[in-house]
Amino acid sequence: MARTLAMFTDTSLCIGCRACQVACKQWNELGLELPEWTGTYQNHTHFTDKTFRLVRFIEEPKPSGDLAWLLMSDVCKHCADAGCLNACPTGAIYRTQFGTVNINQDVCNGCRYCVSACPFGVVSFNENTGTAKKCTFCNDRIHNGLGPACAKACPTESIQFGFRDELVGRAQKRVETLKAMGFKDAQLYGADSSGFLGGLNAFFLLLSKPSTYGLPENPKLPQKNIFVDSLLSIGSALLVGIGALVAFRQRGTGGEA
Amino acid sequence: MGGLLQSAHWPFLIDVYFFLGGLAGGAFVIATAALIVDSVRYRDVSRVGYYLALVALVPCPVILIVDLGVPVRFMNMVMTFNPRSPMSMGAWALLGFSAAAFLAALLTLLEDLGKARNLSRPKTVIGVVGGFLGFFLAAYPGVLLGATARPLWINAHTLGALFLAVGASSGAAAMALVLAALSRRSGDGIARLATTTVLAVVIQLVAMIGFVWSVRASGSAPALNALALITSGPYSMLFWGGAIVAGSVLPILLGLVGLMRPSVGLTAVTSVLVLVGGFLVKTLIMAAGQV
Repeated sequence: MARTLAMFTDTSLCIGCRACQVACKQWNELGLELPEWTGTYQNHTHFTDKTFRLVRFIEEPKPSGDLAWLLMSDVCKHCADAGCLNACPTGAIYRTQFGTVNINQDVCNGCRYCVSACPFGVVSFNENTGTAKKCTFCNDRIHNGLGPACAKACPTESIQFGFRDELVGRAQKRVETLKAMGFKDAQLYGADSSGFLGGLNAFFLLLSKPSTYGLPENPKLPQKNIFVDSLLSIGSALLVGIGALVAFRQRGTGGEA
Repeated sequence: MGGLLQSAHWPFLIDVYFFLGGLAGGAFVIATAALIVDSVRYRDVSRVGYYLALVALVPCPVILIVDLGVPVRFMNMVMTFNPRSPMSMGAWALLGFSAAAFLAALLTLLEDLGKARNLSRPKTVIGVVGGFLGFFLAAYPGVLLGATARPLWINAHTLGALFLAVGASSGAAAMALVLAALSRRSGDGIARLATTTVLAVVIQLVAMIGFVWSVRASGSAPALNALALITSGPYSMLFWGGAIVAGSVLPILLGLVGLMRPSVGLTAVTSVLVLVGGFLVKTLIMAAGQV
């Protein structure tokens, strides 16, 4: 595998211009969607089959009575332990040599298991193609050394693209700087390879706790359940099987043979 | 309920598939149990079970294929073998179990037509191998749901056990119902199926308690909200009245009465209740988990 590529989204630099969201739409030729009322400046409420980059707008009340104005350009995390990739029964979802996770549109048969298996609600079903869709880190661009459209379009370098190890080092320094400036809740989300989901290949610098942004604090790989759930199923199978054998073997119940 | 999470929004047809697949697996296993204990005495039980398993299976692949976004690509499911995906394993189990169910029904048919005298030995081999696959087919949908990010399902741990027990109870109940309709009098086979049904319903009830308990114990707010849809929200009438009281508790009580005074009418009523209850259990868990 080549050196892992990653995206670091520093939300402290985001100005909410949505250039990334537009660039993503343009490059990936994602179709029109009607806007919806979300209660904030954000559109849409969640990822869709036509929105792979989504700037979240959060107005968080502060103890002082002010509103904190939190912005976060959200994207597929390309998890090192990816729920969607594990769930896929056709092999349509695969990992590239750069560590990103893609959906092969010619293989996907639209079972939608990945949609329910994503811990971040990223994977979306497209009714027209009948397949699952999500961000590819602009697979065509990164294979030609161009970098994802969103990162290229970002005017504040809030979205940075590069080698994962380099970006993590840069992100850690940035957190320290922000903490020194008084942003006491500044923290990285998904940067730690030994943390949840084996680390996220799209990781974030947040200015508040993850749940403020609607992110799960400690997302769990759904497939972690399979072992215990299967053991309990086997236990249930043993009880049912023994029960049936006993019910038929036992003497004296029932009428005539 | 799931915050930023998305849902596959699998339609009602998938609930029907989960129910039929479980019923087929359950009926097949119970038919095999009867065959192993006494192939002559319980001939009718195993016959009905094997036929029923095949009949219940027929709509299953059709439902699954129709539900796909690109139905013509259904074969892609069996182009890979992914042990980390319960859906992949389920596709293989459905394929393998269908072959076993077909062979078992075929051998039974050969016996019934008088083409062969006694095929209980090959039937036992197919029955045991197919029985494992049948159990797998009944349980895997629950494990599949547990391996999603949906809050209600990821925090539950007994869904596979529960779905398997529902498959067994509905399989036994359906067999008893068919036998009752055919013979119209209480026989030993029907009585023992009634006992099997009650045992399976007890296991089902325990797994259901385990489901509610594990979701509660998780303390996850979205999971508790989804659970509340079943226990106190819009589905609570169907859950408490249908799935629990009419579909589980009442059948256990009626089954105990039946142990004392066997009656074909009583068994038929109990079987219908168990079938409806089992279907409600799966449907409600699907509905509440996907909101």
